[in-house]
Amino acid sequence: MTSAEAGGKAAKAAPFAAVLLGVALAAVPLFGPGPNAIRLLFVTLVWVTASVAWNILGGFGGQVSFGFAVFYGLGAYAGAMGLNAGLDPFSSCLLGAAVAVVASLAIGLPTFRLKGPYFAIATIGVSEAVRVVMTNLQTTGGASGYRVMEHGAFHQLQHFYSALALAAAAVAVSVAVRRSRLGLALVAVREDEEGAADLGVNPLRTKLLAHAVAAALTGAAGGVHARYAAYVNPQGEFAFAISVAILLMPIIGGVGTLWGPVVGAGVYGLVHEEIIAAFPQLHLLIYGSLLILIVLFEPAGIVGLASRLVHAVKSRRRGRVDAAAP
Amino acid sequence: MSGVDFLNLLIAALLLAGVYAAMSVGMTIIYGVMKIVNLAHAGVLMLGAYFVYELYDRWAIDPLLGVVLAFPVFFLFGIGLHRALIRRLPPSDQPTLASLLLLFGLWLVLQNLGYLIWGNADRAILTPRTLSVLHLGPITLPAVRLVVFGGAVAALAALELILHRTWFGRAVRALMQNRDAGRLAGVDVEGTARVAFGMGIAFAGAAGGMLAMLYSFSPDFGSPFLLRAFVIIVLGGLESFAGVAAGALILALLETFSIQVLPAGYQPAIAFSLLVVALAVLPEGLAGLWNRRRRFT
Repeated sequence: MTSAEAGGKAAKAAPFAAVLLGVALAAVPLFGPGPNAIRLLFVTLVWVTASVAWNILGGFGGQVSFGFAVFYGLGAYAGAMGLNAGLDPFSSCLLGAAVAVVASLAIGLPTFRLKGPYFAIATIGVSEAVRVVMTNLQTTGGASGYRVMEHGAFHQLQHFYSALALAAAAVAVSVAVRRSRLGLALVAVREDEEGAADLGVNPLRTKLLAHAVAAALTGAAGGVHARYAAYVNPQGEFAFAISVAILLMPIIGGVGTLWGPVVGAGVYGLVHEEIIAAFPQLHLLIYGSLLILIVLFEPAGIVGLASRLVHAVKSRRRGRVDAAAP
Repeated sequence: MSGVDFLNLLIAALLLAGVYAAMSVGMTIIYGVMKIVNLAHAGVLMLGAYFVYELYDRWAIDPLLGVVLAFPVFFLFGIGLHRALIRRLPPSDQPTLASLLLLFGLWLVLQNLGYLIWGNADRAILTPRTLSVLHLGPITLPAVRLVVFGGAVAALAALELILHRTWFGRAVRALMQNRDAGRLAGVDVEGTARVAFGMGIAFAGAAGGMLAMLYSFSPDFGSPFLLRAFVIIVLGGLESFAGVAAGALILALLETFSIQVLPAGYQPAIAFSLLVVALAVLPEGLAGLWNRRRRFT
């Protein structure tokens, strides 16, 4: 069996595995885990959404952004304000997504003139500038943040299922984008922007579209989390650490792959608190070292490492069979 | 604003521009020779600040001498980083995302080593010089800013001499113009890149020490200055040392005079606004401008 066939088989198995994973997650509450386990899964699912969203622009399109906290934060603030204005939870999430889309266009139009690393650094600037503005903006509570006043009882499972639905939607959007014209155009822009332009792809429009899709998902994730936390503040929602986390997860998992961002976010979401609890000062040190190792030795992250291991095991087994045959 | 106020602000901006130029020149050296955007610059600025602080705190070594000592120490540190990490990157004539992410990872590592060693409390270097002020008629000059400015200008002058009077400097300038032509002419690309990276890190470390004399610092110290350094080298055209001086002056003037019109809380956003203005004025973007120039050569 060639690796292409194996890849084809894996690609066919992947949607099945994804549905299975989704159903398994949806069934988790039946087994009566504690509220803390549900909370951990909720947070992880929010991260999965943001990580998958980042990968649409950064992985498929090769546009590394350090500025996704802007969308996450704006989505969180817009969602929180929508709830306080009396919108239902679903509409307030949509509002968060819409605000993030508008921001993605406003940020993308000037910064996508820059290529590669210049774009990446410009997004650091955008992210910091937005945080400074939000810290000083009095209408949203400035540095002391903004509180969500929602009437009615708190149902943790309702939050859990909304995060699960959003994460599933994000994965579905990511698969759809990857298979669409937009996905092909993104990969073409990543591999050779000028070449893609010569073949009739409009790089700016492609990047803006992917940026908007990613921003919508990230903004909705911010909205879902804001409703759960019932409190948003600039140092939390707009922190550079949020941008860094959203960038690290897909890279650790396997940048540009469909499932790498999910794996990366799963690992990050579930392991992160343990690491913080065990090594309060060390956790970013660990992620930084991991990033260095991934860039130098395994650019395809955990997914790449896993597929390499599978290949190694297979070829060894085949070697043994060959040796046994006379 | 009276004439005297204006003059005072102008002098303050000039003094700030000197430090900004020294802070940014390390990024330009590394970018010019290796086409690597050094995001770890922020981490090295922070280490430089703590280096000078520790020397002063433990052995009462004058911070100015500490800055001088930072050059050789951080030069060796840079050489070590190049050997361990940077030389493993594939060489490229364009900045690559792999190099950006590698140096970003290094920044995270340095920053959190800082938290591990020094905690997250703010520190400051206080010497008798810190609060003393010189009066020239109506003009007031903070002594420490004058001293730091002198140090920055001396460092930049030394760099200028090295670049224009030594073979290493010629090799650096050759590689900045065209890597392949430099190699054909017999320049040791790998060796020059290693020394250039060491020099870039040396300048970053020393500049961190200078900044530590002016501001309080924590392990998160470098990031606002990283952004400023990037704006400065973008304004200056990325590979030009004269451009760095011009960019530093523009940013320092804007930051100093904006206090008159803008609430202090918004001041950190100026650097980014300047970047947007630069992009709007150059419709193709600075990277595009850079590509266009390359096509002509």
